[in-house]
Amino acid sequence: MSWIKVCAASDVPKNTCHKVWVEGISVLVVNYGEGFRVMPPICPHMEEPLEESGVVANCVLTCTKHLWAWDLRTLEMDGSETEKPLKTYDVKEENGDVYAFIEGEIVYEFDDEDDMDDDSFFTNA
Amino acid sequence: MKIKLETKSGVFTYTGDCSEPILFSGLSAGLSLPYECATGTCGSCRARVMDGSVEMAWPEAPGAAKLKRDKGDVLMCQARANSDCVLRVPANVTQATDLSAAPKWRVARIAAARQLTADVIHFDLTLSSPMTFKAGQFAVVETPDVLGGRAYSMVNYVEGTNELSFVVKRKPGGGFSEWLFANELVGKELKIFGPLGAATFGPEDQKDFIGIAGGSGIAGIMSILERATLTEHFRKHKGYIFFGVRTLADGFYVKELADYVDKAQGALEVTLALSDEAPASPTHPEFPQVRLDGGFVHEAAKRAMEGRYGDNAMGYVAGPPPMVDGALRLLLTEARLPPQSIRYDKFA
Repeated sequence: MSWIKVCAASDVPKNTCHKVWVEGISVLVVNYGEGFRVMPPICPHMEEPLEESGVVANCVLTCTKHLWAWDLRTLEMDGSETEKPLKTYDVKEENGDVYAFIEGEIVYEFDDEDDMDDDSFFTNA
Repeated sequence: MKIKLETKSGVFTYTGDCSEPILFSGLSAGLSLPYECATGTCGSCRARVMDGSVEMAWPEAPGAAKLKRDKGDVLMCQARANSDCVLRVPANVTQATDLSAAPKWRVARIAAARQLTADVIHFDLTLSSPMTFKAGQFAVVETPDVLGGRAYSMVNYVEGTNELSFVVKRKPGGGFSEWLFANELVGKELKIFGPLGAATFGPEDQKDFIGIAGGSGIAGIMSILERATLTEHFRKHKGYIFFGVRTLADGFYVKELADYVDKAQGALEVTLALSDEAPASPTHPEFPQVRLDGGFVHEAAKRAMEGRYGDNAMGYVAGPPPMVDGALRLLLTEARLPPQSIRYDKFA
């Protein structure tokens, strides 16, 4: 796998997100005004579909379900509720198209509670 | 029962009662356990039973849908200890040393009740001991006649009080709300656990206040307005309240809202948004201090607030989920509030 065209930049207006399928993988393309991000289409909190629950404003993506938020310029966690980082594909814009570097589907570990059964539980704070 | 909670930030042990949820006994012991709704819908208080016998009072709770039952996961708000037990809580937990403000059970008696509209009832409780709460907080109320607890925001605000007021909208098939409408309430005894919730607003928040509520979601805003009036918040800051109901006849607390508008001397604006009828006049026929608008409440807020958002505002949202979603979008995109400046109880 390599750089794959996910959509035309004009397909995703500023401050919106748009879900597309590429190579059998579903990704969310977000235009935050200063650039694009391509990511799994769900919130890392409770798997909320971000094309419905996501709001993009001031370069920040917020999931309206529980106000988890990330600064799309730096990918830092934003707001007071967010507990997990956002995972994204590397992205570039060329000739009016948005490309993502996709080597396989990025997935979130919703099983992070599985560390509850081992000794690393106490060190992951 | 000896309850041992292994958390990300240390191990805590306390003595709890088998009759109450582990979330509640832990909060009473001063532990900052994770929760949002405290009544089984949100799933925030998940924990894993490592040892001992723990029973879920409401196994079908919506918040339990994604639990790994085979691994012993439970919702602490539904979990009762049948023996000494050990649970793992995937959160950072701290232990308060001063337990005077910790939530706890109290016995309450219904002192008064009055129906406000066709499907909204207001009732006042007298507590067995005073409770100190923050404006915007809620409590879980239980009657022996109905299984399980219901969470309601306090309507009033008094510092350290035996008197709490609540407002409940009747939901067909909703056990507790139907019970409220079907019974002679005065004198009935209830159990109440609180205070709970972090969606609060107080004098520490030196900001303009934008409150958007649907139906009985106005409860927390009434408490916040009372406190803001007491602390003369609107001498320095502005307030904008948008209250959504279906028709003019469904509006309630309108007189109280009009009184707050008067007391704020021009710094507080209240709009009653009617979703199911066009308002016959721009202001309320009885209380002209209250504006009227048509449509959904977040749309009314959008129209009224266009170009008027300051750069130092706090948003507060309460109501049915579609309204909450619309209001959050408005506050994030139009008001350009950062997410940490928006407060709401995440009951879903």
